[in-house]
Amino acid sequence: MSDIRVIGVLPVRRRRRRLPIGVGVAMGVLALAMLAAVLGRLIFSDAMHQDILAATLPPGSDGHPLGTDELGRDILQMAVAGTASALVGPVIVAVGSMMLGVILGTLAGYERGWLDTLISRWTDLLLAVPVLLAAIVVSGVMGGGYWVTVALLIVLFSPSDIRIVRAGVLEQSARPYIEAAQMLSLSRWRVMFRHILPNVTSLVVTNMMLNVAFALVAFSSLSFLGVGVAPGTADWGRQLTDGRAIMFQNPAAVFVPALLIVAVAVCVNLVGDWIGQRLSQVGEEAR
Amino acid sequence: MVAVRVLGVLGVLFVLSIVVFAMMYLAPGDIVKNLLGNRPANPDVVAAVRAQYRLDDPVVVQYLSWLRGFLTGDLGTSIRLQQPVADAIGDRVGITAALCLLAFVVSVAVAVPLGVRSAVKAGGWIDRTGNALSILGLSAPTFAVGLLLLYVFAYYLPILPVYGGGDGGVDTLRHLVLPAVTLALGLGAIIVKLTRTAMLRELESDYVTFARSRGLGEGLVRRLALRNAAIPIVTGASLVLTFLVGGTVLAETTYALPGLGTLLQDSVLFKDIAVVQSLTLLVAVVIAAIALVADLAYILLDPRVRRQMGAAA
Amino acid sequence: MTVILGDLAVLGPAGPMVEPISAEIAPGATLALIGESGSGKTLTAKSIVGLLPRGFRATGTVSVAGQAIPVGSAGDDAAWRRVRGRSVSLLLQDPFTSLTPVHRCGDQIAWTIEGAQGRRLPRGARRAAVEERLAEVNLPARVADAFPHELSGGMRQRVAIAAALASDPQLLIADEPTTALDASNQAEILDLLRRIQEERRLSVILISHDLGVVRGRTDDVLVMRDGRVVERGATAAVLAAPAHPYTRALIEADPVVAARSGARLSAEEDASGDRAPLLACEDVTKAFGARTVLDAVDLSIAPGAIVGIVGESGSGKSTLARCIAGLEREDAGSIVLEGEALAPGRGSRTPDQMQIVFQDPYSSLNPMMSIGAILAEALGVAGRASSEVPGMLEMVGLPAEFARKRPAELSGGQRQRVAIARALAPQPRLLICDESVSALDVSVQADILALLARLREELGIAILFISHDLAVVRMIADAVTVMWDGRVVETGPCHEVLEHPAHEYTRLLVAAAMRENAVPADGKD
Repeated sequence: MSDIRVIGVLPVRRRRRRLPIGVGVAMGVLALAMLAAVLGRLIFSDAMHQDILAATLPPGSDGHPLGTDELGRDILQMAVAGTASALVGPVIVAVGSMMLGVILGTLAGYERGWLDTLISRWTDLLLAVPVLLAAIVVSGVMGGGYWVTVALLIVLFSPSDIRIVRAGVLEQSARPYIEAAQMLSLSRWRVMFRHILPNVTSLVVTNMMLNVAFALVAFSSLSFLGVGVAPGTADWGRQLTDGRAIMFQNPAAVFVPALLIVAVAVCVNLVGDWIGQRLSQVGEEAR
Repeated sequence: MVAVRVLGVLGVLFVLSIVVFAMMYLAPGDIVKNLLGNRPANPDVVAAVRAQYRLDDPVVVQYLSWLRGFLTGDLGTSIRLQQPVADAIGDRVGITAALCLLAFVVSVAVAVPLGVRSAVKAGGWIDRTGNALSILGLSAPTFAVGLLLLYVFAYYLPILPVYGGGDGGVDTLRHLVLPAVTLALGLGAIIVKLTRTAMLRELESDYVTFARSRGLGEGLVRRLALRNAAIPIVTGASLVLTFLVGGTVLAETTYALPGLGTLLQDSVLFKDIAVVQSLTLLVAVVIAAIALVADLAYILLDPRVRRQMGAAA
Repeated sequence: MTVILGDLAVLGPAGPMVEPISAEIAPGATLALIGESGSGKTLTAKSIVGLLPRGFRATGTVSVAGQAIPVGSAGDDAAWRRVRGRSVSLLLQDPFTSLTPVHRCGDQIAWTIEGAQGRRLPRGARRAAVEERLAEVNLPARVADAFPHELSGGMRQRVAIAAALASDPQLLIADEPTTALDASNQAEILDLLRRIQEERRLSVILISHDLGVVRGRTDDVLVMRDGRVVERGATAAVLAAPAHPYTRALIEADPVVAARSGARLSAEEDASGDRAPLLACEDVTKAFGARTVLDAVDLSIAPGAIVGIVGESGSGKSTLARCIAGLEREDAGSIVLEGEALAPGRGSRTPDQMQIVFQDPYSSLNPMMSIGAILAEALGVAGRASSEVPGMLEMVGLPAEFARKRPAELSGGQRQRVAIARALAPQPRLLICDESVSALDVSVQADILALLARLREELGIAILFISHDLAVVRMIADAVTVMWDGRVVETGPCHEVLEHPAHEYTRLLVAAAMRENAVPADGKD
């Protein structure tokens, strides 16, 4: 039994796990959604074209497999064309707020002192404000369209990212390998970005994925409340809101965009959880 | 420590009150016009508004007078409803409070046991079902769930009312069932996740191994773990709170409930600034108060913190 | 009343982890399981209480006083509940984590009693039973109302012992029961266990990596390695005349054995000398909040000398090292290196002055960097080329191809060698070893100590060697400084301090280093 020593003493290289079916399907759905986001508006460039004569057709109508809304716009075409608007904003929000999170969180967690106090108070302040409430009030009262909402959500999403990164950096900073780097008198930037950041990547990536899902939900919620996306834009949240009036005549007007939002959010969550698990496993093996 | 926390909360509220006050100036368009709404702009009315908001005084004086008004319950007049803001809020606060409470109770009663079971039998069917439900709950916007329930109960299962707030008492309660369930789904998803993660960590700890090894019953072991897990769960309560605020607005709008959420939404769309300011600040105060209570609960739950406080006092 | 293990084995997900073990333990007798990490001793212990990790499974039989333990049926909670606590109890290593932090100690003891009786006790009887158990472990009744964090480590471990034994089991498995404790507490806990065992006629399985713990306190011993028993017999006989080469190597590597025989890894040099000291600390003082951790500490290191600092946790020894290194800022006092006064903090220091080797080899290397990159970075700081990486690896006894590996692929000892190579890369004049060998297995520990001694010979580097274990320090140091509660209580050449300890605390440490049965004056904590 000479191989026991290897098992007991050295970490075992785990065999590459098969991709769970659910995660595989989720990745497929996301790939399709991305394709639709890129090509949707090109293919259905006149999706928002109104045709009063074809208003409120039920699903299964000629030339309109999912029917039309009360302005005669085709539900399917609008849904495909609205993918870009529904996805781009949330992705930018997640990436943007995580960039803020990485920069401010790393500075706060590594430098400590007054900078940490300042950044922490700032996050405390923002966390006391519910995201949706602030977004409704600010973009509602001050006006402002899609990109104002994106900017607003980046700011409102950032405090939790800052906190998460800061906590990860704090935990890493206390480890001896960081002190060893300090013993080599490396510059603080090198310590932060070459030594600490790679070790909090799993946190960063996982939370960014989860934030995409949250932002998607937040965006559509704002559209539902009538703020954020201008009327007449191809967008899932907008489409759903407009469709409410004819919900009982053509349920597809509401439930197609709703289903798309839920499906994409579920898939992003599934893939995000899976990536998080994979990365934390790698991290554990590295310990 | 408690004093420091209270001071911190007051600081946050102070800053927020300035931001909320500034909203009046940040709104596009002429400030007097905004404050007038659709009333005719004759000189008398304009003068009255200018006097009421002290627009001719320095900004600091305006702010202080506005803040004094807020603190003494004089919240101004709603231009949309033509009634004092305090009355408008007073009429609607009951239904919103009932909705939030109902949703909170339902979600805690279901989600905490589910999270515990999921952690105890990690990987089992309860865990997988719970996990699927919590992902769905986090992914489905409150209004999407609401619209689905609304459609089902309006069309196929007309046993529960789907619109409006009812006539009070039991009828209102019946009207609140669907909105509360809608809200509870998202809320429960967060609580299941929090509970499961915290319980998993506690169940792996040494004291659980030690407890089992000396023959303590599994029920007692789980209670010990849950008692220890309560600390991180309560700490995560702020997440639940911010979800609840946003979710209430969506649920009320979906089911056309005459609560604070619909009041806020209508006022925002109408640019009824006095109402928006009051509601925003009110929500901030309530959230701060609940967060403070959560902190106190944290102190009560953890004897280590309690002792530090004793030493500091 | 005898405990019988019959072909007890453990299977893991990747194959057998522990090969079949058979043994008999008479009432009142102690069986020692000795082995290093990965030997399977803890898995064996957990298999007897049915608490193996997921994916692990036990086979064979265990009977305690005629009652069969359901070793093979891992998931059968009802069957296990009949034996856990009543027949077998497990005592864990770390008293800081084995009690729940939010419950009172009295309750934690009472649960065991109630679990065994299957019913709740009335308030008065419960209190009386708890106080009785506390008295058995020499703790006052008021401890029942205390939370674990209000007690010292030694007192917590006593509460844990009382809790483990409250249901009157016939077999107690103690898994490294004193490893997490300070030297002065270790002997007390072991002697307490011994006394209770005799009074109750309790069978004990004592698991340890430390030969010193086993010597004189156990009847029989099983020496385990890689999941197999390599040697067995009466403890005294095995330790006096080991038959298996592994046992012999373990005994030779044991610093306690060396301490008793006076063996050293490097000749003791006269550290006092009249040469100007490399490092001189005077009146170094440091407080964390209201707590003073360093109280006017003096320390002097001659060029090329190895100076040991010994003390328990909280004595301030690590804080002193960190002040010298600039990782902590002292509040007052002076630190002079080669005649140059160093201001507090890293800013005033350069990498070629001093480097540290830390305790935990698992977290002292960046897990995301290859060994080669880690060393190249350290070499680069001193303007040395990365082509010197193979030479650095060779110097610490590692093959050159390790440069491509990541820390996760290395064992603890190998990682510590890499950490030493990294520390030496900027060619420092002082190497600080902060408990650098205490997380390692005994045999690995001896190798690392030998490496340090060799590097001193070859490079003429001075070493500040910090440890809680005087036995380890005396194998390598020329001079010793003993710290207690933030103060230096004794300092002098190594042999003198060991042979003629002047301070009472030093005498306690020397006794602990020799694993003598030291009984403190009042027998209390």
